[in-house]
Amino acid sequence: MPVSGIVVRCLDGCADAVAGRIAAFEGIELHGVLPDGLIVAVVEAETVDGEVALVTELQDIEGVISVQMAYHNFEDLEAERP
Amino acid sequence: MGLTRRDFIKASAAAAAFAAVGVPVVRPKGAQAAEEGITWGKAPCRYCGVGCCVLVGVKGGRIVATKGDPAGPVNKGLNCIKGYFLSKALYGKDRLTTPLIRKGNKMVEASWDEALDLIASKYKEAIASHGPDSVAMYGSGQWTIHEGYTASKLMKGGIGTNNLEPNARLCMASAVVAFMNTFGSDEPMGCYDDLDLGDTYILWGANMAEAHPVLFSRLIDNKLKHPGVKLIDIATRRTRTTKMADEYIAMRPQGDLAAINAIIHVILRDRLYDEAFIKQHVNFKRGKENAPYGLKDKEVFNETPADIKNLTFDEYKVMMKQFTPQWGEKISGIPAKKIEELARIYSDKSRKINSLWTMGVNQHSRGVWVNNLIYNLHLLTGKICKPGENPLSLTGQPSACGTAREVGTFSHRLPADMVVMNEAHRKKAAGIWGIDPNKISSKVGLHTMEMFRAIDRSELKCIWIQCTNPFQSLPNVSRLRKAAEARKAFIVVSDIYPTKSTEVADVILPSASWVEKEGVFGNTERRTQQWFKMIEPPGQAREDTWQMIEFAKRMGLGHLFPYSEKGFYKEMWEEYRKFTIGVGKDLAPYEAYAKVRGLRWPVKPDGKETRWRYTEADDANVKKGEGIKFYKAPDNKANVWFRPYEPPAESPDKEYPFWFSTGRVLEHWHTGTMTGRVPELRRAVSGATIEMHPEDAKRMGIKNRDKVRVTSRRGTIVLPAEINGRGTPEKGNVFTTFFDETKLVNELCIDAFDPLSKEPDFKKCAVKVKKA
Ligand code: SF4
Repeated sequence: MPVSGIVVRCLDGCADAVAGRIAAFEGIELHGVLPDGLIVAVVEAETVDGEVALVTELQDIEGVISVQMAYHNFEDLEAERP
Repeated sequence: MGLTRRDFIKASAAAAAFAAVGVPVVRPKGAQAAEEGITWGKAPCRYCGVGCCVLVGVKGGRIVATKGDPAGPVNKGLNCIKGYFLSKALYGKDRLTTPLIRKGNKMVEASWDEALDLIASKYKEAIASHGPDSVAMYGSGQWTIHEGYTASKLMKGGIGTNNLEPNARLCMASAVVAFMNTFGSDEPMGCYDDLDLGDTYILWGANMAEAHPVLFSRLIDNKLKHPGVKLIDIATRRTRTTKMADEYIAMRPQGDLAAINAIIHVILRDRLYDEAFIKQHVNFKRGKENAPYGLKDKEVFNETPADIKNLTFDEYKVMMKQFTPQWGEKISGIPAKKIEELARIYSDKSRKINSLWTMGVNQHSRGVWVNNLIYNLHLLTGKICKPGENPLSLTGQPSACGTAREVGTFSHRLPADMVVMNEAHRKKAAGIWGIDPNKISSKVGLHTMEMFRAIDRSELKCIWIQCTNPFQSLPNVSRLRKAAEARKAFIVVSDIYPTKSTEVADVILPSASWVEKEGVFGNTERRTQQWFKMIEPPGQAREDTWQMIEFAKRMGLGHLFPYSEKGFYKEMWEEYRKFTIGVGKDLAPYEAYAKVRGLRWPVKPDGKETRWRYTEADDANVKKGEGIKFYKAPDNKANVWFRPYEPPAESPDKEYPFWFSTGRVLEHWHTGTMTGRVPELRRAVSGATIEMHPEDAKRMGIKNRDKVRVTSRRGTIVLPAEINGRGTPEKGNVFTTFFDETKLVNELCIDAFDPLSKEPDFKKCAVKVKKA
C-alpha cells in the first residue's frame, strides 16, 4: 500500500475546521496542525489511485489553498513494467 | 507482521512533511531501518518548468519512493501533485521497448541496426536528391541539454541544415524574441527569490496555481507572512489562482495589448515614470506594424534593422497619446478607472512590483509585442533588476530554457544567444565544433508551423521527432495528420509511450526517460540541474543521444561526437560550456553540478551563482559603481518598443459567437502522454470538458455535464459542459484543456501565429456552441 506525507495549506483561520474534516477521512492520519495554517498528514490507500482520490478531495475542501507532497513510498506496488 | 514496518514508513512520511514546513521531528529508530536498501539520488522533476528538486529512491533496480528534496532551493522539500506521480510515469504497461518499422499498415519489431540503417538511408536519399533542407529534426523542451546539443551539432554542424526546432516554439518563442529585442540576451534578469521578496504581483493571463503550483505556493507563503503583499489576477477566466488573488480583473482576449498601452499612457501623461532610469538605461524604438498572421503557407515577415525606427522619449510620448484609458476600456473591457489604478500601482515607489506571465501572453498572435509592453512597464518605472522587483516570464517545460533556449535548438539559433544569420556567430560555433564554418548554413531553417506544413507540401522528405507529440499538439492538426497519413514524408518518432505521433510514424524508436539516463535540465530561473542515471530503461529502450549519434555514424558524421564512453556527459558538457564562457551566460564545470541542487547562470569566476542579472548587486559582469547595466544590449541600453493594438486573427462573429481558449489543469501536463498514462491522474480529471460561463449555459439550456458540440471553421468536437467547476471563463468565452488524447481539441484551433516569434495562438479563435 502506498504511503505519502502531505502538507495542506489553509486559509487564515481555517486550519482547525479543515483538520476536523480531514480527521474524518478514512485513509488519512492527521499528524499536526501548525501555526500559519499548515496541516501535516499521512495518506495511505490500497493503490496510488486511492491516494489521489483522497488528495483531490482534500483540495476541494473549503478553506484549503493547496495540497503538496513531501514523501511518497510505493515500494510494494506491483511492477507494471513489461 | 507488516504493522511495524508500515508504521515506520508512515513515520518517515510524516517526518518528511514536518521537515518541509520547518518542524524537525525525530524519526523512531525503526523508520531508518524501514528505508534500508533504498538509495536516494537527486534529480529535477520531470514535469514542468518550475524545476523542483526531487529525491528519487531506488531499490532493486526500481523506483520505490520519491521525496521533495529538502535541500532543493526551488521547492524546499515539497512537490505538487504532479510530482506525486513522477516515478510511476515510467512504469506504464505500454512502454515502448523495441524499435518498430512500418510495413504497410502494420508496425513490426526490428533491431536497432535495421531501424537506424533505414533512417540513414532515407535521410541520405532525400539529401542526395533534394539537398539538406529537405530533412529535419523536431525536438523538445523536455530534451536534456545533452540531447539538444547533440541535435544542434548533428543538424547544423553535420548535415548542414537549420531545420531543427523544439516544441518550445509552441510555448516560449515569443518570450525569447522579446528578451532578445529588449535586452539583447535571452532569459530573465530575476529569479524565484523575487516571489519571496516582492510585495506586488500582477499576473497577466496566468493560472499559476495550476500551471506553476510550487511557485504559486511560494508566492502565497510570502503573502500569508506579509499581509501587505498584493496579488492581482488579470485574466479572461476565473481559476484557482483567482481564489487567492486580492483582485481579479476581467479582460477580453487580446485585451492585454490595449490595456498595457493605456497603462503606459497614464504613466507618461501623469509623469509617473523614472526619468533618471530612462535616461541612463533606455532607448525607444518603433518596429514594423500591420503584421500578418501566418495563415498562408510560406508567408514571410521579419523585422529587420531597416524596419526599425529610433525614437526620442518625446516622440514616444506623443505617439502614446492616442491610447487613452477610455480607448483601453473599449478594447480590453478593463474599466478606465482600473487602468488608471494599475498605472499608479506599477509606478508606486513604495511597492516592489513583479509581473508574471506565461502562455496567455506567449501563445498570442502579437505575443512578442505583449512581452515588449510588459518590459516597457518595468523599464519606464525603473522597476527591474532589483531583488524582489522584476518581470518574470514563466516556462512550461522542464528544460525549455536549458535546452531549447540556451542550447538554441530553434531554426535560427546557435548556443548562447547566437544566431545562424550572423557570420561571426557561425564562425565561433564552427570553431568549437571543429568544422568548416561554411558547413553551418546562414539560411534560417523552417519554423515549427512551416516545418509541418512543408510535409503537406511534399517539400520536407524526412523528419525525426523526439520526446514530443506534434501530431496532437499543433494547431489545425487535421491538415498535418492527413499529410502524414498520406505518407508524404518519412517520419521517425522516438518516445517512451505510443502517442498520436507514433501512430503516423514510419519508424518508432523506444527511448530512455528521466532517471533512466544521465542528464541536465535548465529551468525558468536560469537554474541548471544535473542528475545521474538511477535505473535501467526497459527492454531495448535507449537514450536519445545514443540514437542520434548512432545515426550520425551512419551518415558519416560520427567524428562530430568524439566523446569517450566513460566521460561522455562531462566531455560533451565541457565542449558546450565553451559557448557560454565570457558572454554573460557562463556555466560551471560539469562536476560542480553533481554536488549542488542546481546553479543559476551566469556562474561567477568563484563558482557562485547569480540570482539577479545586470545589477552590480549580484552580477559579476557589472562593475561596482555601474549600478544597473544591460551589458548584452547594444550601447548597454534596453529597448522600450512602441507596439500598438492589432486585432487577433479571428474574432467571434454572428456565426461563431464564442471565444475559444485552451490551457492546462493541475493534474495534467501537455498532451498527457506521461501524466495521462498514470491511471490515477486520469481519474482525477477524466477527459476534457468545455468550461462555460453559467449565464451563457443557462441562456442556451445547457446543464453541467450535458454534451455540447463545439465547432470552429476548422473542426468540430463533442465535450461535456463544465459549469461552475474549477475554472469559469468570462461571458462569451469557452475553455478546454488539451491533454485528452481521445479529443483532438487542437483541430479547432486556428493556425495563426505571431509574425515575429512564429508561435501559434492557442488562446483565441471563434467557435459556436450547441447542445449536442
Ligand atoms: S511544480 Fe512542476 S516541477 Fe514542481 S513538482 Fe510540480 S510538476 Fe514538478
